[in-house]
Amino acid sequence: MTETIQGAARTNDQQIESIHVSRFAPLKNVAITVVNLAVFFVIWELVARAEVINALFFPRATEMFAALFNGFADGTIWPQLSHSLTNFLIGLAISAVIGIPVGLLMGASRVADLILSPYVWAMTSLPRVALIPLLILIMGFGNSMQLTIIVLSAVFPIMVNCMAGVKTVEPSLVRAGEVFGASRPQIYLKVILPYTLPFVISGVNQGIARGLVGMLIGELLGGGGNGLGFLLDKAGEQFDAPMLYATLILLAVMSVGLVQAMRWLEQHAAPWRDISRA
Amino acid sequence: MGQVEAHSAPGAQRAVDDAVPEPALIEAAHVTAGYDNRREHTRLIALRDVSLQVRRGEFLAIVGPSGCGKTTFINLIAGFVKPIEGSVRVRGSEVTGPGADRAMVFQDYALLPWRTVERNIRFAMENRRGHVPKSEQAGRVAQALELVGLTGFEKSYPHELSGGMRQRVGIARALVTEPEILLMDEPFGAVDAMTREAMQAELEKIIAETRQTVVFITHSIDEAILLADRIVVISKRPGTIREVIDVDLPRPRFDEQADVQRSPRFGEIRSHLWSLLADEALGAKQEGASR
Ligand SMILES: Nc1ncnc2c1ncn2[C@@H]1O[C@H](COP(=O)(O)OP(=O)(O)OP(=O)(O)O)[C@@H](O)[C@H]1O
Ligand SMILES: [Mg+2]
Repeated sequence: MTETIQGAARTNDQQIESIHVSRFAPLKNVAITVVNLAVFFVIWELVARAEVINALFFPRATEMFAALFNGFADGTIWPQLSHSLTNFLIGLAISAVIGIPVGLLMGASRVADLILSPYVWAMTSLPRVALIPLLILIMGFGNSMQLTIIVLSAVFPIMVNCMAGVKTVEPSLVRAGEVFGASRPQIYLKVILPYTLPFVISGVNQGIARGLVGMLIGELLGGGGNGLGFLLDKAGEQFDAPMLYATLILLAVMSVGLVQAMRWLEQHAAPWRDISRA
Repeated sequence: MGQVEAHSAPGAQRAVDDAVPEPALIEAAHVTAGYDNRREHTRLIALRDVSLQVRRGEFLAIVGPSGCGKTTFINLIAGFVKPIEGSVRVRGSEVTGPGADRAMVFQDYALLPWRTVERNIRFAMENRRGHVPKSEQAGRVAQALELVGLTGFEKSYPHELSGGMRQRVGIARALVTEPEILLMDEPFGAVDAMTREAMQAELEKIIAETRQTVVFITHSIDEAILLADRIVVISKRPGTIREVIDVDLPRPRFDEQADVQRSPRFGEIRSHLWSLLADEALGAKQEGASR
């Protein structure tokens, strides 16, 4: 090595210091959330006790928790919850398996884009409820109809996002792939797919949101007698407000759980992108 | 990088000193190139009727104002852009796409953001089967990193590096396979002045050993004179060749004793280039400095 390159090498002596991160730092966020929720339920309880709103529509928080507890204890909730959850996860998996490759294809091939676009966009913007009568006509009430509506809700946002992702791939990265000898399949595998991954994940995220709506629509209107939607429907008919709220809380927990899982995946799949901004 | 043997075939002498004329390694003949805008049914001509020959082992620098078609020219050689008219040939055969004989340093680095520095450099070796033996790759990566002064950053991701450091990763990636032709698009544009000079010296040394042929785009007149055997001056868009200048300064030019930068000949070439770029140079210089 010459004298001069030593000068270049000197930039390496950048100081890396270890910083002190409290072991309790993650616990702090949990603590804040717990306090936050506790305050929320206490206020709920107080407002309900003040009876400014008719107790028929607005039960106390404690009644809601009691309904939740009893529902699990006497086995009215769990079968419905597990039905919905299983259906939803299967539907989401089917949507991903169909949506991701088709979306990538549409992003990469102009011909595929041209042929498929009109249908995909029509299906993306069509309100899902409109399909229910047709689906019931074709498949009757029951599981396959519910599953289909979940897939039809989730698959198109996944497709559209994957397609958009491929179109944002920086051309110079593809060129770098070509310069350094990557074949077409290698470019897909090593450049385009990794670049698109964050889009795939945000597509799945939207798929989750839409899929949950689809799931509820299917269960509420499909009349299959199954799932959280059925639970909601029944509680409404029986003026069982605590149960109604308990089911809503379950739905909220379910969707927040799924979204958090995807967030985690997002951060671990693409650490080079600053997801927190999005 | 020090594998002189592999490149010192009899015909691979520095072309500048060659008495016997040798067929050009790269030959552009009456090349016109541009970009179609399908929406507006227009075509932007970036280069018009450019003819140029690059000899084996030659270091060719390209200077010219921003947007004059320098990157387009290098992309023609790389095989990314097809000429509208004319032809680009490498070793006598028409360029139809990228090949293992040509590597490129991109103006915008073009590093894969999800790969570490080390794996980015490996990318140059892992795609073509049997190109570089697996057992050799780790050693080559280490060598290339040392060359650009980035030893110790193997496990960093591009987003954790400064612009100049990213650019050096791009240079290491291009050098690691020792391609016959190096296409460098403003490779030192984002590097600080001190490091830049060190890397210019290192590049001269590498080229002297490997006898690679280099096409080098720069905004810096001094850099062009210090590195090149010939300098091509391209005019404003549509780019045409304004002049080709032979740089007949002795090598090595980064020798402390030689002090080429203070020689009268250096000054002559420099002021000639300045006058050529008179109206554009100021803007180009400023842009170069602000990068
Ligand atoms: N992909 C493209 N599509 C359309 N026009 C392009 C494209 N690439 C370049 N151009 C146009 O072609 C002209 C020449 O561009 P080029 O990138 O070759 O310039 P350059 O000399 O490298 O400039 P700089 O010094 O700023 O890098 C410019 O006017 C630019 O707008
Ligand atoms: Mg350029």
